[in-house]
Amino acid sequence: MLVKNIMTKKVVAIDPEMPIGDVYTLMEQRNIRHFPILEQSEGKSAKLVGIVSDRDIRTVGSDLSAQPEISLKDPVRRVMVQPVMTASPLDPVEESAKVLRTHKIGALPVVENDELVGIVTGIDFLDALVKMTGVEAASRLEIEVADRPNALADLIRAISVRGFSVYSVLTPQKDADSVSFVLRVNTIDGHGLARSLSEDGYNVLWPLPKNNL
Amino acid sequence: MAYGFLYDPALGSFELSESHPFKPIRLELTRSLLSELVLLKDAQLTAIETIDEASLAGVHQKRYIDMVKAVSQGQTRAEAYSYGLGTGDNPIFPKMHEAIMGICSATVTAVDKVASGELKRAVNLAGGLHHALADKASGFCVYNDLALGIEHAVKHYGLRVAYVDLDAHHGDGVQWLFYDRAEVMTISLHESGRYLFPGTGYTYELGRHDGRGLSVNVPLEPFSEDDSFVECFEAVVPLALRRFKPDLIVLQAGADMHRYDPLADLALSTRAMAKSYQRISELADELCDGKLVATGGGGYDPYRTVPRAWALLWATVSRQQMPELLPESWRQRWQAQSPETMPEQTFDDVSSWKEIPRRPQIEAQNRATVKRLLATLEPIWRERFG
Repeated sequence: MLVKNIMTKKVVAIDPEMPIGDVYTLMEQRNIRHFPILEQSEGKSAKLVGIVSDRDIRTVGSDLSAQPEISLKDPVRRVMVQPVMTASPLDPVEESAKVLRTHKIGALPVVENDELVGIVTGIDFLDALVKMTGVEAASRLEIEVADRPNALADLIRAISVRGFSVYSVLTPQKDADSVSFVLRVNTIDGHGLARSLSEDGYNVLWPLPKNNL
Repeated sequence: MAYGFLYDPALGSFELSESHPFKPIRLELTRSLLSELVLLKDAQLTAIETIDEASLAGVHQKRYIDMVKAVSQGQTRAEAYSYGLGTGDNPIFPKMHEAIMGICSATVTAVDKVASGELKRAVNLAGGLHHALADKASGFCVYNDLALGIEHAVKHYGLRVAYVDLDAHHGDGVQWLFYDRAEVMTISLHESGRYLFPGTGYTYELGRHDGRGLSVNVPLEPFSEDDSFVECFEAVVPLALRRFKPDLIVLQAGADMHRYDPLADLALSTRAMAKSYQRISELADELCDGKLVATGGGGYDPYRTVPRAWALLWATVSRQQMPELLPESWRQRWQAQSPETMPEQTFDDVSSWKEIPRRPQIEAQNRATVKRLLATLEPIWRERFG
């Protein structure tokens, strides 16, 4: 999964001369916390010169501000963060997520050929994580197999010959000689599939057979 | 005014495959039970009015409908699988399009008659195909009869519709089809998607845009029992319905929350199921002049469980009393082909059931879920409804 798959493409960018008070209003109105700042110069394409988040402007004009000389009427240029950490559309999401965590920031503008093409925030990465756990309509099966070559391949083959697709595979547990996999399979009858796999000798940890209730 | 029982032998005439868990025979089991109990005497056997393809296209995408029609006629289409057709769950069978259109027509007819006031209430036990999406078959459901019925009530009668889904599986299809609509509230109680198909129905699925706060999900722990279910139902359903103030309630009464159901992991008895039907009936009286349409849904224990649950459903909807003892002749008739002993009583003797381990934890978890759900919804409702 790449940054281009999870980024927000309709970016609201602002001008460095916009008064901080207006930026604040825009954040409230649009329910957005990060604005990339683009500087227009004649004859050239707009250049990404900074980024501003709600944290950077929250205390402006109040007694809590670290820079009391800055007021809400001042241009956002005065509080924007630069240089800007950016991502490229083809970056793997896990790599950009690490950049975000390393620098303890909330968003990365996405830049391609010096042009702003999107933005990714912490929430987008969280959504990506959720998606990776399997979003398609599916049943959850947890199955323990011996740790040997082909164990997972054999398991997936066993499921596919029964006419089902595996939508996601997660590995929550790895012991010395066994691995358990959580699979999302496209069937409403997870119990039926579990029963049938148990009969083939698989150790199904979920779902539990219902007949011993 | 009469109570409508939508029935046509053709609605139960298809079989997906012999080993498929969806058994249309449960309809005949239920009908024969009701008939022996003389509970269908005053039922209005409503003629089904076939819907046209234009109404079908009000919910489903044209290219999907064309695909279903093509494969129903035996044509091979490589893309069918990506529409959820020809999968392990949704095998293609001859005249599939026509068979499912029949079921959808019955639900739309039921809604139409109740909305117009011709019938007080109506039941279509063959309906309840809540997983079908705009362009995809899913979980044994090809077309979404519920969404078609709800859309009909909204479009032709301008009604606000509350949809209550008591199937063990999340009512995902209906939820997503109306996720941003102001006219429809969907409420689903189900086994948590963390464990069960379709893997959705979390408390944070709230609806969006005009539909924000109108999608209500109560995901229950596996092995939840009567008391915990009734507690969660009581905490959420009356509150949500009273906030929304519907003109019509559509109830999907899947019977797979029962302990005997082989597909889901909940452990209800017919007593809690009957209680929930009763409460929906009372809430319909309180909020929308009694207007109620009920359908079947899941239910994969066709001999012991489904007939009892749906006989209770019909009795409740049509304001009749269901006796505690089931007729001997009915039991004998079906015992020959039932893999299990046919039940003698309408209500399960739960004292004979083995105690569920971890019961207090399960109850506490469900209680916490409801608390979290209401804490999220109530501010949205306050803003929306005042």
